[in-house]
Amino acid sequence: MVDTENSRVNHHVRQKSACLRIATLCGMLFTQLTFAQAGTEGAPLHGFADAGFSLHSTKFAAGVLDGTSVGAPTGFNVGSFDIYLTPQFDSNTKALVELIFEVTPDGGIATDLERVQMGYIFSDSSTIWAGRFHTPYGFWNTGFHHGAQIQTSIFRPRFLDFEDKGGVLPAHMVGVWGAGRIRGDAGKLTYDIFAGNGPQIAMGPADPAAPNIQTNGTLNINVSGDDNHRAMSGLNIGYEPSGDFDGMRFAIHALRGEIADNSDSSLIPTALNNTELNIVGGAFTYLENNWELLTELYNFNNRDVSGSSGVYKSSASYLQIGAIFTQLTPFIRKEVAVLNQLDKYFSAQENGQSYTRYALGFKYDLDQKASLKLELHYSEFGAETGRTAYSYRSLHTQYAIRF
Amino acid sequence: MKSKILILFSITLLALSTQGAFAGDIVVITNSGVTISTVEIKDVFLGEKQFAGSTKLVVIDNKSVQEKFLSKFLGFDIAKYNSIWTKKSFRDGLNPPSTKQNDSEVIEFVKQTPGAVGYVSTSPEGVNIVR
Repeated sequence: MVDTENSRVNHHVRQKSACLRIATLCGMLFTQLTFAQAGTEGAPLHGFADAGFSLHSTKFAAGVLDGTSVGAPTGFNVGSFDIYLTPQFDSNTKALVELIFEVTPDGGIATDLERVQMGYIFSDSSTIWAGRFHTPYGFWNTGFHHGAQIQTSIFRPRFLDFEDKGGVLPAHMVGVWGAGRIRGDAGKLTYDIFAGNGPQIAMGPADPAAPNIQTNGTLNINVSGDDNHRAMSGLNIGYEPSGDFDGMRFAIHALRGEIADNSDSSLIPTALNNTELNIVGGAFTYLENNWELLTELYNFNNRDVSGSSGVYKSSASYLQIGAIFTQLTPFIRKEVAVLNQLDKYFSAQENGQSYTRYALGFKYDLDQKASLKLELHYSEFGAETGRTAYSYRSLHTQYAIRF
Repeated sequence: MKSKILILFSITLLALSTQGAFAGDIVVITNSGVTISTVEIKDVFLGEKQFAGSTKLVVIDNKSVQEKFLSKFLGFDIAKYNSIWTKKSFRDGLNPPSTKQNDSEVIEFVKQTPGAVGYVSTSPEGVNIVR
C-alpha cells in the first residue's frame, strides 16, 4: 500500500519534472521564434538528435556463455536531443548554452544543463570562459561531445565516455577556461588552460558483505561547489602546421586534481579515499585529404593521499582511422585501458575496469545534415580484484541529424 | 566592307567578353577602416581571425558567388565549409558568417559596417580591395 502510494507520488513528481523540462524547451523555442518574427538574427539555435537500434550478445565469462545481458537493453532507442545557443552580445562578449534531453535505460528522461559558459574575447589569442564547459583535454571531448551527427562513430571511446556512461575522466567542469590561437608563418599554436571544481566519486549503496571492495562509484562533477576545496586544473597545448600539413594537429595535455569518494565510513573501514589525479598525455589528429585519423593517449600517475600507499600508473588510449569516400566513411578503432585496481580512483568507479575494445563501422551521409551509421564492437574486460572477466559483442545502428 | 564590319564586331565582342571575365573574378573587399592581408583571408572566413587590430571583423558570405569564392580562396566546397562551421560553432561558440544574396547587398553592407569583410564579383569603389 505504502509502495503504491510512493509509486503514485514518484509518478506525479516525474510528470511535474517532465512538464518543467518541456516548458523550458518551449520557452527556448518561443524565444527563438520571437527573434525570427522580429526580423532580428537573435541567438542562433542549433542542435543534434539521434535514434538507433542496438543488439548485444550475452556475456562470455571465462569462455562460457553466462546468460546475462550487457549494457543497454536490446532494441530501438531514442538517443539524445541536444540544443545549443551561441549568442554574441557585442564585439567581445558571447555565451554558449547547451541543454540535453536523454532517455535513460529505465525509460526515464534525463535533462542536463550541459554547458553554460560566458565568454569574453580579448583578442584572437585570448578568450576567457567562465561557467560549466566540456573539459578541454585531448580532441574528442570538446570536438564532438554530444554532437552525434558530426562524429563518425556512434560511440565515443569508452574511457572517454560521459561520467555516467562508462567514462573514467571528468568530461565536464565548472570553473574558468582560457583559450586562444597564435598564428605563426609555418602554423598555429593553440592553447587551453583551465581550472575548476575537482570532481567527487559518488558511491552507490555499500555492500556490507565486502566492505573493502566497493566498485559502484561514478564521477560527480560538483556543479554547485567543490566538496574538498581542491581545484582541478589542466592545460592542452596544440600545434597545427599549415601548407602541405594542413589538417594535422599535435597536442599535449595534462590534468591534475585531488579527488575523494563519499563512501560510508560506518561500513567501509578504508573510507574516505582521497586520490591525487595526475594525467599527462597527447593527441594527434589528421582531418584532410579524405582521411580521418584520431588518436589520444592518457597516462595516469595517481597518488594515494589518504592511504599513503604510493603512486599507481595506468594508461588509456585509442586509435581510429577512417577514409572518406564522398558520402561514405568506413572506420576502424582500437581502444585499450589498463587501469590499476590498487588505485582507488579506478577501483572505486563502476567503469574503472581494464578493457580492450575493437570497433568497426561506417557513417553514410544522406545529406549535409543527416547520417546513417552502423557499428560492430567486440569488448573484453579483464579479471581484476573485485571484477569479473567477461567479453561481449554488440551491433549498433544510428540515424543522426543536426540542425 | 562587310568583312571589316564583321572583324570590328568580333573585336568588340571579344573585348566585351574579356571585360566580362574580369568582372567574373572574385574580389575580397573590406570596410575602408579595415586592413587584412591575402594570406589572412582563409583564417578570417573560418573564424580563426576575428580581429584586425582592435576592430572586430564582421564577415559576410555572398550567396551568388559563394561556391567560386570557397573554391578559389579556401580550397573546398560549400558542404565542407558548412561542416567546418558546425564543428567550430559547437566547440568554440562562434557563429558562421551571415549571408547576403548578391554583390550589391554585400557592397552596401561592407561600406556601411565598421569591420565588415565580404567578397563580390566586381571591383567596387568606396571599399578596400584585398585581392
